[in-house]
Amino acid sequence: MTGFLKEFFNRNGIGVGAIMLGLVLFWTIGLIVLPQLSMLDFSFRPNLPPPEIGGPKDVYTLENYKYLVFGPEGGGQDYNAVDLRVFYRTLIAAALVTIFNLILCYPISYYLGQSEGNHIRIFALMLIIPYWINEILRAFALRIIFGETGVLNTVLIGSGVFDQPFDFIRNDIALYAGLGYAYILLMIFPMYNVIESLDRNQIEAARDLGAPWWRIHWRVVIPYAKPGISSGCTMVFMLSAGALAAPQILGGPSSLWFTQLIYQQFNDNNDWPQGAAYAVVLLVTCIALVLAVMRLFKVNMGDIGK
Amino acid sequence: MNNKILRISIWVYLGLFFAYLLGPLVIMSATAFNSPGFPRATPWECLTFEWFGALFQDERILNGIWNSVLVGLGTVTLSVAMGLAGALMLTQISAKVRSVYYTIIIAPILIPGVVLGISTLVFWDRINRMLGLGADSFLSNGLFLTIIGQSTFIASYCMLVLVARLQRYDMVQTEAALDLGASHAQAFRKILLPFMRPAIASAGVLAFLASFENYNTTTFTFGEYPTLTIELAQKVRYGITPAISALAFIIVLLTVFGALANEANIKRKERIAEARKEGALPDVKGISLPGFLRGNPAAVLLVLLAIGTITVVGTATAYSPAQCIADVKETKRLEAEQRIQELRAKREADRAKQKAEQGEEAETQQSTPKPSNNSGFGNVFAPTTLSDDEEEGAEAPEPSNNSGFGNVFDPDALQEDDQSNSE
Repeated sequence: MTGFLKEFFNRNGIGVGAIMLGLVLFWTIGLIVLPQLSMLDFSFRPNLPPPEIGGPKDVYTLENYKYLVFGPEGGGQDYNAVDLRVFYRTLIAAALVTIFNLILCYPISYYLGQSEGNHIRIFALMLIIPYWINEILRAFALRIIFGETGVLNTVLIGSGVFDQPFDFIRNDIALYAGLGYAYILLMIFPMYNVIESLDRNQIEAARDLGAPWWRIHWRVVIPYAKPGISSGCTMVFMLSAGALAAPQILGGPSSLWFTQLIYQQFNDNNDWPQGAAYAVVLLVTCIALVLAVMRLFKVNMGDIGK
Repeated sequence: MNNKILRISIWVYLGLFFAYLLGPLVIMSATAFNSPGFPRATPWECLTFEWFGALFQDERILNGIWNSVLVGLGTVTLSVAMGLAGALMLTQISAKVRSVYYTIIIAPILIPGVVLGISTLVFWDRINRMLGLGADSFLSNGLFLTIIGQSTFIASYCMLVLVARLQRYDMVQTEAALDLGASHAQAFRKILLPFMRPAIASAGVLAFLASFENYNTTTFTFGEYPTLTIELAQKVRYGITPAISALAFIIVLLTVFGALANEANIKRKERIAEARKEGALPDVKGISLPGFLRGNPAAVLLVLLAIGTITVVGTATAYSPAQCIADVKETKRLEAEQRIQELRAKREADRAKQKAEQGEEAETQQSTPKPSNNSGFGNVFAPTTLSDDEEEGAEAPEPSNNSGFGNVFDPDALQEDDQSNSE
């Protein structure tokens, strides 16, 4: 360690080296590691008014985690059915959104990655523009479309598909569409990067040997694009499970997203330890799920972020 | 034949894909110019620009923009600095530590924003308490917390952008400068920084945009400094007006503008590079050159867009939708009056039939139309108006924003009013 430091300062000089090291330490330790540990620690503590923090009552407890599973003590229920159902639903829905995005985005990633011409750049521009529009405004745009008097209902009633306006918001269709919409680019980009580097001769060779188009994809393109596909899926899954804006704006009145529960604990109930415990549960579960699926499909962690 | 079907299906797919991607933005932009108080594109009533006026009079939005800019500047500075330091460090540490280090600095991209916001809030609150500072200290300041929280993950984006460029840097250049007697600081400032400048610029733009649109992290940390995104979320959640569409339209326009300008610039540089290769000396200040537009569709689009914007702004100052709004209002009033007549006739008939139950009967009759603005004139019968004299109902309270049957009757708008009253 001292050897490294010596070489480091030799190479960068005392001044520049110290600033660099300071910034890196501040970022990794002060902004990433310690806050996460602090949140973990906090989630094991009872909710106390500020003067009592650090006092005799401030001991470690599993209360906050118990609350998620069993509900309030003496609440008369065996399980905290409401919160658990929200949690379960969030994970399932995030997984469905991820699959939907994968199916939607794979063809266009392939198309962009394997064709040439001026129009590809225009397409890329058209992909990026919606991504720079505020997340809230994107959700707002979908709400205009899916609303009871929205464009979609007007069109559907006008064309005679429905005779009553269909409540897309209450049925969560708007929410799923909004979540899928929000993360399209994050799915396309990693896949595009990998597919672009695929040698076109491989596809030609497969075609010459008589493989039908679906087999070319199944045996040549998809195995090659696996790192990109897994990066894209990981990002979309993590971000949709952790989304807050889209569920708040597009979610139905009766259905909640798990992040909304966390938000309520913090802002409405003022129970920070409880909120922290929920956040820890969300983070750990999402990471565990992603790792499990990656093992299932035999993808390495090192391939992510390529 | 088979090929043709394939090609057609590709174009159909592309069409659907981009309709899903761009359609919502186009429709949202359109609602900014329609006069009803609830943002919608159908039915089209009157072309109006008043929502832009309403937008620029909204103190909270303007304040939010200012806060967003402050947070953005702070985040750009901090995250580009940390990203650059992190990227430099990545190229220097041994392979053994590198994978652990890389996992740590890439993790914030994958951690949900909500979790980042909470951990920032909890951690700095604890530091604040350990130092014995009060609740209004610098460490619990919304501006500070938001910048810190956003920089945690935005620095990772910057790091990725900077590392890509840094990999092409030849360390020999720095060594040569040191051998020639430059100090480390000089070598850093005069050799490395100029090389990194393009990447630093793109990392800065990326950081600013990411900061500007961040919601999940900011919503836990903003404190006394609500950013634009926070203000928008409040507005969208508690009742929506076309003024938000107007803001969205401006942002869409600016984004398209920026993207096209960037594209045109890249194209221009490419052309200059090509021309240089051929040995010709091009006019580098090519903006005055008519050839600037040749073979550069992005530049052509950019110019067209600029002309379009100027025309629209020009007409907007001269155009007044008052007549059209009055017409629509008149039609609605007539329709409403007709409905009232019908209702009254019906009630008369009812009254004649069952004298005893007339009151209740009338009550239920009146409240049949839904208070949501399903039909063009349905709102007139909203419960609030019914308490008035029926004949006056159609000319009910003139909305302050003077927009036909504006949001007065819109249930969401009522909510928003409640909201602003309670605040």
